Amino acid sequence: MEAASISHGAAPAEHEHHGPPAANRSSRVEPALLGMFLFIISEIMVFGAFFTAYFFIRIAQGNPWPAHGTTLPVGVAGMNTAILVSSSFTVHWAEQGIKKGNHFVLKAGMLTTFLLGCSFLFIQINEYANIGFAPQDAAQQTIFYSLTGLHGAHVFIGLLLLLFVTIRAFRGHYSAEEHRGVEVPGIYWHFVDIMWLVVYTTVYVL
Amino acid sequence: MLNPLRSEDEAFRVLLFVLALVVVVIAAILILRVFL
Repeated sequence: MEAASISHGAAPAEHEHHGPPAANRSSRVEPALLGMFLFIISEIMVFGAFFTAYFFIRIAQGNPWPAHGTTLPVGVAGMNTAILVSSSFTVHWAEQGIKKGNHFVLKAGMLTTFLLGCSFLFIQINEYANIGFAPQDAAQQTIFYSLTGLHGAHVFIGLLLLLFVTIRAFRGHYSAEEHRGVEVPGIYWHFVDIMWLVVYTTVYVL
Repeated sequence: MLNPLRSEDEAFRVLLFVLALVVVVIAAILILRVFL
């Protein structure tokens, strides 16, 4: 069958398609964005469960926050917040750059974002090492480590995505026409940033 | 309607909106703490 078609020379344009037919798309949203959309919804639910535990311990049970004899490093975490918020600006800068076909801006923006994200995680690990209490000490400490640790795990996953994008950017991938691979991790990174603003506000400030 | 999941641009705009909202909430609570 294959040999027969080859012997007849070039096939007409409508028969050039190979492989299985394109998957049916019932949604108007692009599959890559829809996937991230559903993923982020599930992520909000996960964080919601942790926030429920936090508010139960603090509001419903009326425990003092932070626990007696402990303090939270509000200033250091505030600096860390500034670092993470800055990284959202740099990833946006990178994305705007590649939309205009500027590879230098893409590479500089992605590298800066990655390094800012690493700084955030490094400072958070140092905070854990010096904070002076352990997760098993009290319910407040448990939920403190759970909420910030859950978020830290998301930063780690986000950093992996940013690393892949950065390596691909340095290899010359992406263009003004094709930059979905920068945009989708960018949305995830903004989500991680927004979630940190909520975590920081509830855990450290209020 | 702003949809942060439609594009990186909109996600960034939502971030700015949330940032402003967080500042307003913190400021309001800190001010209320002084007067209440």
